[in-house]
Amino acid sequence: MTSVQNSPQLNQPKNQKAARQITKQLITLLRGIIPNYEDGFWHADTALFGAIAEFDSMALVTLMGEIEDSFDISFDDDDISAENFSSVTTLTELVLERS
Amino acid sequence: MFRIIRTPKQIRAHLLFIAPLFEQANQTRHHVTRSAMNAYHQGIQSIVFDHYGTGDSQGELIDASLSLWQQDILKQLLELKKHSNQAVYLSLPLSAVLLLSNEIVQQLDGVMLLQPNFKGKRFIQQFKRLALAANLTQSHNAKEAVTVAKPIVEIAGYLITPHLLDELAGQSLTKLADFTLDSYWFEWLGGAEVLSLGRAKQQEEFARKNDKLWVTNIDDVKFWQATELQVASTFLTQERVAFSQIVTYKSASNKALNAELQQAFNPKVAHELKR
Repeated sequence: MTSVQNSPQLNQPKNQKAARQITKQLITLLRGIIPNYEDGFWHADTALFGAIAEFDSMALVTLMGEIEDSFDISFDDDDISAENFSSVTTLTELVLERS
Repeated sequence: MFRIIRTPKQIRAHLLFIAPLFEQANQTRHHVTRSAMNAYHQGIQSIVFDHYGTGDSQGELIDASLSLWQQDILKQLLELKKHSNQAVYLSLPLSAVLLLSNEIVQQLDGVMLLQPNFKGKRFIQQFKRLALAANLTQSHNAKEAVTVAKPIVEIAGYLITPHLLDELAGQSLTKLADFTLDSYWFEWLGGAEVLSLGRAKQQEEFARKNDKLWVTNIDDVKFWQATELQVASTFLTQERVAFSQIVTYKSASNKALNAELQQAFNPKVAHELKR
């Protein structure tokens, strides 16, 4: 579940539009938490966990809380995985699943 | 107890800064110092301290309890009231509101709430998630790893008793009786953002308990979340406005005070919350 093309959820036009909006909002949240990157750094394919030094456990949990507040959704503790937080796209898919 | 007290020549009010819990204390320390200095320059005695077992205060965190922390706050308030008839306020950022009790509230003239989180259960859930997330990063930073050796829990380097976590998880606004305090609520909300349902519910619940609530939205960085030092200048400016209101509290008539507050603190939101 790491690319938009391979995701059945994101193949539908309606979901694609929702995914774009979610991705945009996620990037806004990420920029707030990790402010020391240029705006152009952030996009759907930006790798997160294991790729950005600042994306540590604190940043990950902070992001989870912000996402829950912003999207009015709840994550399970099982959602804390390297796969779900590997990139902006995988995170978008997770938000879509929980919405 | 480690305290930093800034006392102006003429004290016009007292402001006790309550540190939020665990990592949030570190994340807010820089701003607390700035706020305390701003308060001092406006004639407000500011007191910044570390809870028992945290920062530079004595004791170990594993020996701390909610009631111990609350008693420390209460003692300081009673001491202030004993020697001064000026207004006494608390500054409560983030999880610091989880330390409120009815006994503490009874000693206050007002509170300054910075993105308060009254939901103890949610706060502890997030805190415990740190341990789960640390497991993912274990290979990157072994120090963050969680180890559980009952009855002590280690999360993100903090050694805590499960009892303290349970006490904090049990805290919520519903445990407080209705009160009447000048309450300044600073809510971080971007200009284009809509207040989330969860945050709106907390504001509404607080407004039901206390009819003297003024809310102002802060369109600035959430400095406590950022992975590098950030300063929320907009917040500091708005906070100074609130400080100026505090020091005029005793001399201004309620009507005049309310008019000024509504001008500075988003009258629409304040009005809606009061209904």
